[in-house]
Amino acid sequence: MATWAESYNEYRDWLTGQGIIFSFTGYLSEDMLTTLGNALKKSMALSETNANVAKRVFSVFVEQVQNIIRYSSDRIAGTEPPTEMSGGMVTVGVDDDRFFVVCGNVVDAARAEPLRERLTHLARLDKDQLKAYYREKLREPPEEESQGASIGLIEIARRSSEPISFDIVWLDPEHNQAFFCIKAFI
Amino acid sequence: MDTISIAPTDRSPLVEFDFSQGRFRLEGESYPENSASFFAPLLAALRAFLESDDTRPVSFDLAMTYFNSSSAKALMNMFQMLEDAGARGREVVVNWHFHPDDDTMEEFGEDFGLDFENAAFRMRPTPKT
Repeated sequence: MATWAESYNEYRDWLTGQGIIFSFTGYLSEDMLTTLGNALKKSMALSETNANVAKRVFSVFVEQVQNIIRYSSDRIAGTEPPTEMSGGMVTVGVDDDRFFVVCGNVVDAARAEPLRERLTHLARLDKDQLKAYYREKLREPPEEESQGASIGLIEIARRSSEPISFDIVWLDPEHNQAFFCIKAFI
Repeated sequence: MDTISIAPTDRSPLVEFDFSQGRFRLEGESYPENSASFFAPLLAALRAFLESDDTRPVSFDLAMTYFNSSSAKALMNMFQMLEDAGARGREVVVNWHFHPDDDTMEEFGEDFGLDFENAAFRMRPTPKT
């Protein structure tokens, strides 16, 4: 039987084998976005990543993490001082010379379907259509919550080299909550 | 109106709004924790200045290296105000500085520039950006 350290080593090996630069699972907040974002920039600079590619990866990372922070259904909050954290996972890696960013978080059923529709719609648009759609969304008056997510998703789609992949895992037999997972290749 | 000067942070740009000279600057990265609350006072001050009786020319220099989608929304609102002021007869020049190798900032500049008719929007490839 594997020792506990061997189990963690297998887990580490698995991550490394997937080309993972880093992976975080747990509760996220804006200050962690700052820290992880700086770590990502530094690691890309150290590996001499092309500056334009590094900017695109960083942009996808920021929009993905901010989506988790804003829209995850799994949240914890405290009052003194006022704090709120959002549960989710974010993983950045390299596969066959291309960076990817994977994000996942729990969403209520009511959120899952509109999100799926938006991503399906975005997947059908080419670069020029995405650019035009982004411009259109920028012009809209102060948005309601759901539309706020879509401009971030358009930004992710614009910086990606192929349509955003996404999938849903239902977490209960009644389909009340789902783990919504998004993968973008840059 | 008093000058607004805000030092840059990891996540917010340098801000220099010198109303007495009609000179405005935004430089660096922008993905504030809450971009609406970061930009709201700046947008309000700019609007008040542009809608005042002041007729001095306005020069706005931006040298952004990265901004997230909610900051883009704030920039767009600012540009709409500047273009509206241009339409009312104010002399407005917006300079969009970007590093010549920065494809994303160049493309954003081209996009934002499409909305200007009455205010001048100039693309400024600037190696030191």
